[in-house]
Amino acid sequence: MEVPNLHDESIHDTDDRAEELARAVEALIFAADEPISADQIAEVFAEITREARPSTPQIQETVDRLNAQYEQQGGAIRIQAWAGGFRMSTSDEVAPYLKAFFRHDRQRRLTRSLMETLAILTYKQPTTKPEIDYVRGVDSDYALRRLLDLGLIDVVGRSDSVGRPLLYGTTPHFLETFGLSNLDGLPNLREIEELLNDPAFNKERARLLMLKGLDTPPPSEAPDGET
Amino acid sequence: MYRIQVQEFEGPLDLLLFFIRRDELDIFDIPIAQIADEYLAYVRVMEQVDLDGVADFIYMAALLINIKVRMLLPRPELDEDGEPIDPRRELVERLLEYIRYKEAAEGLDVIHQQRANLFTRGGASSQEEQFFYETPETLVNTTLFDLISALRRVLTEAPETPILELAPAEYTIEGQRAYVLEQLARRGRVAFVDLARHGHKGFIISTFLAILEMAQRGIVWLTSTETADDFYVQRVQDKPEVTNGALSHGN
Repeated sequence: MEVPNLHDESIHDTDDRAEELARAVEALIFAADEPISADQIAEVFAEITREARPSTPQIQETVDRLNAQYEQQGGAIRIQAWAGGFRMSTSDEVAPYLKAFFRHDRQRRLTRSLMETLAILTYKQPTTKPEIDYVRGVDSDYALRRLLDLGLIDVVGRSDSVGRPLLYGTTPHFLETFGLSNLDGLPNLREIEELLNDPAFNKERARLLMLKGLDTPPPSEAPDGET
Repeated sequence: MYRIQVQEFEGPLDLLLFFIRRDELDIFDIPIAQIADEYLAYVRVMEQVDLDGVADFIYMAALLINIKVRMLLPRPELDEDGEPIDPRRELVERLLEYIRYKEAAEGLDVIHQQRANLFTRGGASSQEEQFFYETPETLVNTTLFDLISALRRVLTEAPETPILELAPAEYTIEGQRAYVLEQLARRGRVAFVDLARHGHKGFIISTFLAILEMAQRGIVWLTSTETADDFYVQRVQDKPEVTNGALSHGN
């Protein structure tokens, strides 16, 4: 990580400002109960100092520097980029202490059916219950209600298809719960071709049968005796 | 006592996938007749134990039989271009699509677990305290609705056991009555959530029934707080001077 030289005399003013910004950023993120956006930080900073609003990259840089400091000092706190904002959390290394302390906490894993429903919804969003039901082959009514209760998903509108079913999407709370800054951070959903190229599938066989069965672009070397 | 070990499947597609993987079948050349028979055998077991969940599985069974029949037709169905249609095609497409999202669910689970190692401030600090000490709170009449919502809360938090019991329940109401009375003797007023903590569903339900029975007989007295979906149990002889009528009086 490149840390700007804070002791360069020629940029003394900028230097003070950077330190003041670092203090403000740290304080705001510490005190906030939810992820706080770069915009919110910039606004407060500009209001109090009566200076120009710091840009989003500037705030990001400040956060990076704070994180580098924490790491250097071996601190237990880190600033995370979650749900489009910043939030303080403990570091990975100290997790055993916290897990022991919060043993009775309600944090549990989601059941497989909830996770499955959530995955389909996350990658297809905005999407409707019938679409989710079709992929899973089961009724997802209960799973959707649980996910709504947990605040991980929400109704985001109505579809234009027959019956105008409700459209569901994930919430900022979902992003925070899964440690994501935004939806681009999601693990990739593999395409069917990719899955088939996995050694788990018999590659050649799959390709041959692809020709017969599915509408995927056929491989260039067409097998003999196919016609 | 005998038990049937049934692996839990999320749905019909999951079950089909299980057969395909177990027998290392080629997903593009599924032996429909064999799979359909196995599938139906499984659904018959399910009907015995879980009538609610079986509906979705029956739909798939019908689909499998339909495909099986179509495969027996002497002349294959043709698509618009005159090419023969494999009756299994739609099923294969659905299975592949399902595999994609199953994999995605595993990916989400991984990042969820990573995130669970990071702790934020707020909320949780009161948890530990709450378990050992009770903060002074207003005691109000316990309604049936409070009891049910407390039961629902612990049941939804109870670990699901994948073993289906077809034998007499492990926990009896008599046994749980003794357990509750013993807890009350030691601790005075006890929260239902604490009584049911760490128990499985059978344990929780028997405990709940035991408490209801004792409340009806006037042995224990139930109170709840205004907000929490929980209630407290205590012996009637320990009852403090509160002038409201509680459930134990049977009104």
